[in-house]
Amino acid sequence: MTQTPYDGTCGIRELLGFTITDDRITRGPAHEYSVRVDEQEYVQAAENLALHDFALAALFACEEFSGRGRYSIFSVFERKQDILILVRDVDGHAVSIAGLFPSACWYERECRDGFGITFDGAFDTRRLLLHECYPDGYHPLKKEVPNRSPEIAGDWGPEREYPFRVVNGEGVYQVPVGPVHAGIIEPGHFRFSVIGETIFNLEVRMFYKHRGIEKLAEGRLPADCLPVAEAVSGDESVANATAFCMAVEQASQIAVPGRAWYLRTILLELERIVSHLSDQAGMLVDVAFPLGANQFSVLREEIVRTSARLTGSRFMRGRIRIGGVSEDISSDTLSGLVVFLTEFRKRYRVGLKIVLSTPSVIDRFATTGIVRKSLLRPLNITGPVARASGGNSDVRVNRPYGIYDQYTPRIQPLSDGDVLARFTVKASEIMDSLDLIERLVADIPGGETCSSDAVRDGHALAVIESPRGQNLCWVRIRDGRIDRYKVRTASFCNWLAIEHAVQGNILADFPVINKSMNLSYAGTDL
Amino acid sequence: MAPDFVLYIIFNTLFVLAAAPLWISVIKKVKAWTQGRQGPSVFQTYYMVAKLLRKEVVYSSTSSRITRFTPLVTMAAILTAALFVPLIFVPEPAGGIGNIILFLYLLALARFFMALAGLDAGSTFGGMGSSREMSISAIIEPTTIIVFAALAFVFRTTNIFDMFARSAATGTITTPILILIGISLFIILIVETSRIPVDNPETHLELTMIHEGMILEQSGRNLALMELAAAVKLTVLMALLINLIVPFGLATTLTATGLLIAAVLFVVKGTILAGIIGLFESSMAKMRFFQLPSLFAMAFFFSALIIIIEVFA
Repeated sequence: MTQTPYDGTCGIRELLGFTITDDRITRGPAHEYSVRVDEQEYVQAAENLALHDFALAALFACEEFSGRGRYSIFSVFERKQDILILVRDVDGHAVSIAGLFPSACWYERECRDGFGITFDGAFDTRRLLLHECYPDGYHPLKKEVPNRSPEIAGDWGPEREYPFRVVNGEGVYQVPVGPVHAGIIEPGHFRFSVIGETIFNLEVRMFYKHRGIEKLAEGRLPADCLPVAEAVSGDESVANATAFCMAVEQASQIAVPGRAWYLRTILLELERIVSHLSDQAGMLVDVAFPLGANQFSVLREEIVRTSARLTGSRFMRGRIRIGGVSEDISSDTLSGLVVFLTEFRKRYRVGLKIVLSTPSVIDRFATTGIVRKSLLRPLNITGPVARASGGNSDVRVNRPYGIYDQYTPRIQPLSDGDVLARFTVKASEIMDSLDLIERLVADIPGGETCSSDAVRDGHALAVIESPRGQNLCWVRIRDGRIDRYKVRTASFCNWLAIEHAVQGNILADFPVINKSMNLSYAGTDL
Repeated sequence: MAPDFVLYIIFNTLFVLAAAPLWISVIKKVKAWTQGRQGPSVFQTYYMVAKLLRKEVVYSSTSSRITRFTPLVTMAAILTAALFVPLIFVPEPAGGIGNIILFLYLLALARFFMALAGLDAGSTFGGMGSSREMSISAIIEPTTIIVFAALAFVFRTTNIFDMFARSAATGTITTPILILIGISLFIILIVETSRIPVDNPETHLELTMIHEGMILEQSGRNLALMELAAAVKLTVLMALLINLIVPFGLATTLTATGLLIAAVLFVVKGTILAGIIGLFESSMAKMRFFQLPSLFAMAFFFSALIIIIEVFA
């Protein structure tokens, strides 16, 4: 496949395959291009983008954006460093591209539930985030709908029941799991169709804990919206807060001081280490190897406590602020961090060695839950899951933000795509994050930690690499207040990957496959 | 029935009930230590059983009488099986008690009712646990028979009482056969009591459960009975291993001091064996479900080897 050079507006015309006037193309602050298209052009453009290896990274709507239609639908296409946003103005109907980009399916259903936009030609028109109990015609993201609970139906007939894919055949039976689980975990429903122990089909149903995050953000002052961004998913607090701040800063053209970016990056990398460590511990718990699991749990807890010493919060909340960080971290504290991390690195290596030299663990991990490389683009799979399946995308490398252009992480992708590959990729990323933090602390400049520039109206897209993969955040500020806050976490993309990863595996291996993908329920269900 | 035998029934049953919860906790304690944790008290299982006995019993609305009497049947079958394995005192065998085939089928009876109860409550996980348990038992049963046949060949009897009496009289047998029997019995013990690498007794992770899946819908005193029955089963299988391999101290005549020494020695030996089980469990992850037969095949192989040695050597 030829990679059409993508530079400036000429490249875009060639890419889209039709002529388009310059005034419909705008270049965003982070070198992304937005192109205003009508429905017909949109389908043609989507076909061409699919041919040119673009993936659909997000699709979302905003009300009263352009004045040309009631809703504007943004489709964010991505290929390595290139980001192209197609904007359509629609009233109540739009064309579906789920046939071209399977990842569009959830986004379009999300838009339909939120705004009541009908997607014509969609192959899946079931509800997504609104469960059966919500009344017909209720679309909470419309501006006219107040932010409070609607009348919830206590009972509903069988005609409203969510239709799961039905798999028939001799010996096939259904195993429903969840949304209430035996352990203290988040709610999600898994509908397995199995033949004996072997999983034939899995359908995941999420959105049992919808908190109305996007609606909650609307009308707030941008600074007051930070706690909302941090609450999207607990263990991605720093990543989501940073993405939100980046979007606001780009929209308002606020320049973030150098020291602030160093501090932010240290926190971002610490968060990555914590997340990967809990994953690795969880994977070992799920194959019943507590000896290894406990080592990682202990190390994770120590990092979390160190984070609390650095920032006053175990999840490092309240530290990221629009324009920089809220409080400086003294150089003594930072050198203490390096001392701790040196010791940590030794102990982590020992733990890793024990695990990787236990044959029974390797036997459980290897060839389990394979995510095939051919799925990466259609489903827009991201993060360590993609990097363990032969993908080499990492926002920090492809589109470096902050100071990642000077501190490029070494990504070491593997191509097996199994649980072992994901475990190993996470291990090498922990090592790399440790290196990064040491270099950052050594090089950190002095100076201001927060810009005093004011927030201005506008809109911007921010893309960031959270521990789980690419997180995307789009913010529109209108009259000094948040008009629309859209966040799409890596989990939203990767949940669909698990439906494919488990096929042909046995039920008893599902927990470890699930854990190895580290999917956040909260991050999916806003 | 001889008065000795009546006394034996009382002593053995009381002792097994009293001691059984201890080993469960000892295994947990050892596992906790290997992980650098403090772990629960060694009396935790006693507290848990005591707590459960006071709790209300809740039945699923789809359950039938099977769920209601399974705990009793299981406990009765396991306690009867416990009579077949003298823990501290070996009397003269009476009736069919001590027959290894009957012993095996008492365990199978308990297993059968547990699997039925797993299906009965109508929950997914119960059914899954039952299906897995039955798959495993279909594979482990021939292996167990071969292991017990090997024992019968070595001790020239099919009665556990006679086996114990012989091993107590001759002391520890010091032949390579001992090692082979030990390994085979240990594997049977691990499989029958649903421990790592076959099952994980500590998880309620729905999709991987076997034994815990079957008893998931049990509550209150019924759950207490099931938990206690599992502990007794573990103790009985441990006793089989201990009294065949390291029988010293086993009382063959009924004296107070003899019984006391035997009881103390049994607790010591049991604690050591529970420690070994804990270390064994810590050293590996659970096996893939479909690879379990390779573990059973090991026990099968060693036992078949014993029979060949006994027949031709």
